[in-house]
Amino acid sequence: MGSGLNHQVDRRALLSAATSLLIASTGRAAAQNTSGTIRFGLTPVFLTNDLELLGRLQSYLQRTTGHPVSLITRRTYQEITALLTSGQLDAAWICGFPFVARRSELQLVAVPLWHQRPLYQSYLIVDRDRRADGLLDLRGDIHAFSDPDSNSGFLVTRAALAERSLKPEGFFRKTFFTYGHRDVIRAVGSGLAGSGSVDGYVYDVVSELEPSLTARTRILEASEWLGFPPIAAPKAPIDETRLNTLTNALLKMNEDEEGRAVLQMLRLDGFAVEDPKLFDTISTKAALVAAAG
Amino acid sequence: MQMSLVRSWPITVKVPLAVASLMLLVGLVLSERVLSRLTDTQQRHLIELSQSYLDGLSSAIAPSILREDNWEIFDAIARAQAVNKSLHPVETIVTNADGIVIAASDPKRHPVGSIIEPTHKAPSASFSFDAGADSANAVRVLSYPGRVAGIIYATFDTRHLAAERRDVVIALALTNGALTFLLAAAGWFLVARMMQPVRILSDHLGVARETLAVRIPEEIVSKTKGEFGRLFRGYNALVRSMKEREDLGKRLAEEKRLGSLGRLASTVAHEINNPLGGLFNALATLRSHGHINSVRDVSLGLLERGLIGIRDVVRTTLTIYRTDRVARNLAPTDIDDLGLLIAPEARRRGIQIETENALRDSVSLSSTPIRQAVLNLLLNAVAAAPDGSQVRMSAQADSDSLEITVADRGPGLPRAGAEILMSPNVAPPPLDGGGLGLWTTSRLIAGIGGQIDVEYPVYGGTAVTLRIPIARVELSNVA
Repeated sequence: MGSGLNHQVDRRALLSAATSLLIASTGRAAAQNTSGTIRFGLTPVFLTNDLELLGRLQSYLQRTTGHPVSLITRRTYQEITALLTSGQLDAAWICGFPFVARRSELQLVAVPLWHQRPLYQSYLIVDRDRRADGLLDLRGDIHAFSDPDSNSGFLVTRAALAERSLKPEGFFRKTFFTYGHRDVIRAVGSGLAGSGSVDGYVYDVVSELEPSLTARTRILEASEWLGFPPIAAPKAPIDETRLNTLTNALLKMNEDEEGRAVLQMLRLDGFAVEDPKLFDTISTKAALVAAAG
Repeated sequence: MQMSLVRSWPITVKVPLAVASLMLLVGLVLSERVLSRLTDTQQRHLIELSQSYLDGLSSAIAPSILREDNWEIFDAIARAQAVNKSLHPVETIVTNADGIVIAASDPKRHPVGSIIEPTHKAPSASFSFDAGADSANAVRVLSYPGRVAGIIYATFDTRHLAAERRDVVIALALTNGALTFLLAAAGWFLVARMMQPVRILSDHLGVARETLAVRIPEEIVSKTKGEFGRLFRGYNALVRSMKEREDLGKRLAEEKRLGSLGRLASTVAHEINNPLGGLFNALATLRSHGHINSVRDVSLGLLERGLIGIRDVVRTTLTIYRTDRVARNLAPTDIDDLGLLIAPEARRRGIQIETENALRDSVSLSSTPIRQAVLNLLLNAVAAAPDGSQVRMSAQADSDSLEITVADRGPGLPRAGAEILMSPNVAPPPLDGGGLGLWTTSRLIAGIGGQIDVEYPVYGGTAVTLRIPIARVELSNVA
């Protein structure tokens, strides 16, 4: 989940945002933090108008927490994870894979509910007209991953190969990262890639919002249900109170009109507190991959 | 053949055709210029746009091309194509230095890893566009100092330019066609107007070929200005003078007719007068020697024949141009009569008439014209002969023809007179009155199918011989 934002946000705006963030991260960060600004990192899965979503999310959070809210976006998962683990963010919406990978440094804040469950799948997608029955038919493909730190867009497929003692670099002719699930769909739909690994939640919502994009693809395989990308915070919160108010705001989002509007844009039902064990299947995959080297 | 056909076309067709041809030529030249300018403009425009497209794309993919980042390049192409819609990019392909495709706008046509043959789009030609073609191609080689990093091939849809060009061609064709037609029509109209006086003139001249030249009516002349006005007035003056000449000719002919009538009258008088002396002679003979039977009979016969001769002269004069003469045949006595008729005149001049009449029977030839003709010849001979000389007349006939010769010892018949005698049908009646007797003789002999010969014997004088064929058919008819 990443460049789904980039392709709609003006490049110049992003550049200035990045510059201001650089300044913030070096010196003024501490001062801002103490002044009470909630810094919330996003590896967005956002699909509708990103700027409108960001604006409404920020507005909702500011109103319910009473704090100024700064929404931080980055191109890759890694950057957000790094900001989070380095204590520069109060909380961030990250993926299950970095959460389990940095489990010791992070705490689980909340998990989004999709179809009332904190679960989603990873899809292996191919061209609509392609004749293939499973992952093993994709040997020699050009394969599109979304992000090396993504569970659904990388880890799941890699683990599936590792189960068969295969590695992406040997199995596929070539792989590349699009740094956005939506772009994986584009890459497969256009034919640039023969197959792709994509977030099932994103795929389903895209097929609802932009049917033409997914129409050219089909789901070859869906993974088991896995923990939905969660909201995580540093194990030692920057500010306990701010984190609590943020957590509350998230959990009660579906009780507020503006919050429901935000959730509607995200096609989610709400946020819930879940047991971190939810992500054990993902950590198993991560371990498998790590063992395979 | 073709040329002569073209030459025979009326000028009202030729001028509009010439105008139309010239306009077509001008139209073609202009169209060629316009189209060539249009092509230049379109090409320049396209080159500028495509260069800016390639510039933008180059800078966007430059970092990714060395990494061969398929997605970034694909995304950059997609964005560049979306941004440069006005350029109508249809296909963009980015390859690495070896020609292996990194990304293409349509990966299905040019999959990642496929090879673009450098032959079909030569990298050296940075831009190619044919006027009216549906697409244009541009190639950009991305190079960093020392090495080629990649190549961008871009194809642009130029159908809108081709359509624009087509529209211009149609507009040019329609405009030129309309102009050509209008100018040709105007040319036809103008020439038809300008040629109107010429047509009037040629119509009048055409009438003149069949009948008499007709004047162009005054209202048309007064309406026509300039050269044609002068031409019309000149033509009318010509017609007037022609008419005057014609009237003059008619008057002259009338006068001539009257003149010849007068001369004829004097001839008749002459013809009548000539035998009168002989007749009076016979009367005198009767008076003094009438009691002698033989003398009385000869004199009465002489009188009768003389009077018949006079009657015949009068009749002949009345019917001088008539061919159906019903008269008595020539008798041997007719020849003797002629001798007697001329005798008084001859005696007066002291000229001796010698007659050799070899005729024994009458000849089936009308006597009147022969008598008149021979009398004329005798009168001429007597008039021409010097005093005291001899005029000889001889007549003989066989079954086919009659031959009468009158010979004198005069100074010789002038050439012109001989001409009149010998060519009866050609010569007009003499204008000056002289030679009218010769002319009449000639006509008379010709009227009965005879022929006249004029000879100049070595001993001097003139011998005129009449040869008249005797028509047997006529004879049998008579019988």
